[in-house]
Amino acid sequence: MLIMIRSIVRPEKADDVMAALMDAGFPAATKMAVAGRGKQRGIKIGEVTYDEIPKMMIMTVVADKDKDFVVKTIVDAARTGKGNFGDGKIFVAPVDEMHTISSGVKEIDLSSVGEARP
Amino acid sequence: MKEVIAVIRMNKMNQTKKALTDAGIAAFFAHEAWGRGKGLVNAAVAAGAAQGYQEAAEVLGNKGKLFAKRLVTAVVPDDKVDTVVKTLIAANQTGNAGDGKIFVLPMGDAIRVRTGETGNCAVE
Repeated sequence: MLIMIRSIVRPEKADDVMAALMDAGFPAATKMAVAGRGKQRGIKIGEVTYDEIPKMMIMTVVADKDKDFVVKTIVDAARTGKGNFGDGKIFVAPVDEMHTISSGVKEIDLSSVGEARP
Repeated sequence: MKEVIAVIRMNKMNQTKKALTDAGIAAFFAHEAWGRGKGLVNAAVAAGAAQGYQEAAEVLGNKGKLFAKRLVTAVVPDDKVDTVVKTLIAANQTGNAGDGKIFVLPMGDAIRVRTGETGNCAVE
């Protein structure tokens, strides 16, 4: 069973999360720039309301057994620690199939993804 | 109904668009993204950059060991998943590491905004 973890984090924390994932032995990840808002309806600074705040989305696919560990790794790295709003959210979704394009192989386990190449 | 997410090389975008259209999958969207795989970056180069060697830093660039990629997402009926996967592999395979990955995720429902149709007929 494969699990896709999509986490929306602060842009300044994205590098920390990527480094934490690398150190934890989950190097494979994709990140993209996104903009959005949470249930605080954006942010109000003085008279100006920003209803879409830039964030980074980091997408990674891991084995089912590693899900909790990876989520904890991301949370620890992305949290600012002051109970602030805007630290982000993590979404977990099942993946039915995974194919590696270079070999055309349909992956059936993630032993090759969960470990860094020596 | 399935959501097919493919991470591909940036310079393969045109071939991918053409191949998908030829295969009868006209509807998809693409995203710019940066990513890394299972350790494509040479560990010695990364260590050299950490020690401040100029050449190693140039190899890695300033993007922090991530490569520019395109994320292609298509939502298709169950019976077309194999076609999409095969098309994407055929269009993007160079045989080298870094060609990308394809993920197939279950998709609960789809709604065509124009007519309000739901289910498979919204994505066919």
